[in-house]
Amino acid sequence: MNWGFFATTVIIYVVTSLIAAWGLDLQFGSTGVLNFSFIIFVAAGAYTAAILTLGSPSGPGNVAQQQYFAGATLPFPLPWIGAMVVGGILGLLVGLVALKRLRGDYEAIVMLVVSLMALYIVLSDVGFLNGASGLALIPSPLQSGGNLTGGTGYGWFYSGLTVVVGVIVGFVMHRLMESPLGRALRAVRENERAAEAMGRNTAALRLLVFALGGSLGALSGAILVGFINAWSPGAWGFAETFLLFAAVIVGGQGNLVGVAVGAFIIFGLIIQGVLFLPQIGGDSALTECLQWITAGLLILLSMWLRPQGIIPERRRRLSRWIAPARRKRNGSGLLRWR
Amino acid sequence: MSLVIEAAGFGVVTAGVVALAAVGFTLQFAITNIFNVAVGSQLTLAAFIAYALNRTGVSIWYAMIAAGLFTGVTSVLLNRMIFQPFLRRGTSFFGLVVVGIALLLIIQFSSQAIWGASFVSYQFNAGGVFKWGPLLLNRTSLILLGIAAGTMVAVHLLLTYTRFGKSMRATAADPELASSCGIRIQLVTDATWFLAGMLSGLGGVAFGMTLGAFSVSMGSTFLVIIVAAAILGGVGQAYGAMLGALVVGIATEETSLLVSSAYSQVAAFIILILVLVVRPEGILPGVARYRGIAT
Repeated sequence: MNWGFFATTVIIYVVTSLIAAWGLDLQFGSTGVLNFSFIIFVAAGAYTAAILTLGSPSGPGNVAQQQYFAGATLPFPLPWIGAMVVGGILGLLVGLVALKRLRGDYEAIVMLVVSLMALYIVLSDVGFLNGASGLALIPSPLQSGGNLTGGTGYGWFYSGLTVVVGVIVGFVMHRLMESPLGRALRAVRENERAAEAMGRNTAALRLLVFALGGSLGALSGAILVGFINAWSPGAWGFAETFLLFAAVIVGGQGNLVGVAVGAFIIFGLIIQGVLFLPQIGGDSALTECLQWITAGLLILLSMWLRPQGIIPERRRRLSRWIAPARRKRNGSGLLRWR
Repeated sequence: MSLVIEAAGFGVVTAGVVALAAVGFTLQFAITNIFNVAVGSQLTLAAFIAYALNRTGVSIWYAMIAAGLFTGVTSVLLNRMIFQPFLRRGTSFFGLVVVGIALLLIIQFSSQAIWGASFVSYQFNAGGVFKWGPLLLNRTSLILLGIAAGTMVAVHLLLTYTRFGKSMRATAADPELASSCGIRIQLVTDATWFLAGMLSGLGGVAFGMTLGAFSVSMGSTFLVIIVAAAILGGVGQAYGAMLGALVVGIATEETSLLVSSAYSQVAAFIILILVLVVRPEGILPGVARYRGIAT
């Protein structure tokens, strides 16, 4: 058992998932948008970072004869930034659908369908992003520079880099949530009409949240693809979104630390942790099914026992001025007003 | 041109299969106000239960009925044991979608744990091909079409001519008023979940038959088509779902003919997006309007 490899894998998976989960929480926990298509932003980021490092599809670097529509070889931080830009733009496009003032659960179903359809388009159009086989041999960033040449040494370097990015994202998210903008987002969640009456442009706020959340998802995908060096539709099935939701719901929506706890439980313990245990009955496919079933059961249990999550959203100052009936309302509207 | 008509023939068969599940989905929403996202995994389970029976030598038609009944009963149990307790505990309809997702994961991956992720197919005799002008359909397709048409007529008769159908429509329109008029809401709800489950179970098996080979991933494919049909027709409207299924069925088959079979699902997507942009409440907006789905 290679403990170094195990540790770096778990760190990178947990932190990248956490960045995505924060992006999702910005939409779900803070603004109350149920975006079931979140995984397509992670995928968009991963694909963008991939084609921005793989080089032109007709160039000599493409030894594997992979098909994709365009490519470039950009130096390190640019593919990640490009991924964030693409994720943000895609977020704006998908967000336009969400502007139709649909009821929350109806909107959620529509988003689920959007997610599945993005998958079908990539699968059907092989020339776009290499269809079902996906892209492979994606170079890791900064690997050729210096004496970082792969192996566990590079793994530690990359997990360190990932953690640094995670801390920066966490700090930015914290500042954002404490800012007037964060307050406006919570106002949209609690009562959109009232927020509008107070002069907030709720349509613009929703679009902004779609774009910001989308670019965080894309950043997460871009970092992950630099580590696993391959990306295919198998990595972003529609169900993957619900692992992120599970992390947010179990941990505590609207609370950055809570989401981090949730991400550790779901991705660190359930998804990655067991991969290095002796396989159950020697059957890795069965293990995978059991992981998903466990995630589903955890969502059910946490919705029943503690719908506000392990570490609930902090009650903001001044909330004692708000009528008690309102305060009972749970963050993202998982509970009805009573 | 004759190819276009032939594809339209296949489209009508697809529409029949889609309509079975879409009518169940939409009726259940109209009466209980719950979007049951788990329906995709439920019909996968139904398809695999029929497969397990079919493999032991049971005729596919009996297997289909058994799978339909099984899905009907499990739907009632799901509602009684999961959805209703959550509702009583104060979970919002928004939260119930998350509950539905959890159920979807549990059912889908339990099926995968039992039957694996590989493709399987039913053993049945497709029967001779009937030629009628440019239309070309085999006997199984005709029987499926007959089942779908018969079910649609039965649902129509149930909703319009029976006392029970009237109480279902009354519950859909206003549960509190219906309750104070002496309608037993619990009974209506149970019957609706049973009917919806049974229809989606039949739809799942029929979908497996028309696909030829299927795997546990069929649930998500089918869910998209069902949702597209239901939303296009106006969610909560049984007749709307039939109409929506017809449009989606023909559109997917014509797309496979005229563009590429890989894009047939994308046609359903484009229809859905267009409907959402132009008229989010669907063709028949009644239920969507008063439920506050889209304004």
